[in-house]
Amino acid sequence: MSEIDPKNTAMSPEEQKAYQAKQKQRAAIMAGLLFFLVVLFYLITFVKINSSIS
Amino acid sequence: MTIASTSPHKLASARDLFALTKPRVMSLVIFTAICGLLAAPGSIHPVIGFTAILAISLGAGASAALNQWYEYDIDAVMKRTANRPLPAGRMDRETALHFGIGLSVFSVLLMGVAVNWLSAAILAFSIFFYAVIYTIWLKRSTPQNIVIGGAAGAFPPVIGWAAVTGDITMMPILLFAVIFFWTPPHFWALALFMNSDYSKAGVPMMPVVAGRQSTRKQVAGYSLVLAACAIAPFAIGAAGTVYGATAIMLSLAFIFLSFRVGVSKTEDPSAMKAEKDLFKFSIFYLFALFGALVADRMIFA
Repeated sequence: MSEIDPKNTAMSPEEQKAYQAKQKQRAAIMAGLLFFLVVLFYLITFVKINSSIS
Repeated sequence: MTIASTSPHKLASARDLFALTKPRVMSLVIFTAICGLLAAPGSIHPVIGFTAILAISLGAGASAALNQWYEYDIDAVMKRTANRPLPAGRMDRETALHFGIGLSVFSVLLMGVAVNWLSAAILAFSIFFYAVIYTIWLKRSTPQNIVIGGAAGAFPPVIGWAAVTGDITMMPILLFAVIFFWTPPHFWALALFMNSDYSKAGVPMMPVVAGRQSTRKQVAGYSLVLAACAIAPFAIGAAGTVYGATAIMLSLAFIFLSFRVGVSKTEDPSAMKAEKDLFKFSIFYLFALFGALVADRMIFA
């Protein structure tokens, strides 16, 4: 993660609120994507093992 | 992940990151990839097939992100693209670059690990081709940009095919050729009535450099080559009569509309009905042709 430049951190309360809302939204989507990938890789592994057995 | 800018105005929203992948273009990529996958002889486990399509989609999204990272200056000038995340100032370039590279690497690795390394290699090459050969090298330097760049969009059915069979035969090469020769008339029809926008951005589109009349003649010429490629799978016995009949009818309509463009002399973009009709039909043409190929396989399999 890149460093936050202290010169650019001065935000009004509204700007800060909007910034945090965007961060929260991105974090929630990232969590969903990671969960999806966990399930996908589990299924891929399952299929690969199954096909190598049969 | 990078917080590319600490400004709240530049922290890219999820919606903007999604927009960076050009979802509408991606739909055509996904469709042709699925068709390549379904038309290939043999079978693929649904989970692996889904993963292959996902990897192709992510690769297409990555190419689009890298394209917009490089073309932010052109996009800012054109009305059609001025509201994209980068020219509109909702995202900085560093974020787009990191997003594009990250997605590229992930899509290729996903394809290689889950499907096979031949399709991963073609996917990697197609991303490189679109981002580097087309976007960085050709688009700004030659009016043939669309012709050669069209190859990038022609890879998805080949990758879909390779995902199933693990090799490349005549049929996927013909599918590649269909999209390759479809691209110039499709984009030049658009460029003819969007001419002023491309001129403003300094992109050497064929209508800007060679003029509208020369472009119109080339559109008509390409429609003949496209028709030959579209009918070839039927002619060589690689596809059945459902595909053959559809390909012949669609191609005749395409040739008719292209020659209508070829004889048009209109200089006023708002009066270019023939060009607009061809552009609209060209989208339908590709969907219908590939749909017919899959239907043909389903019926005769």
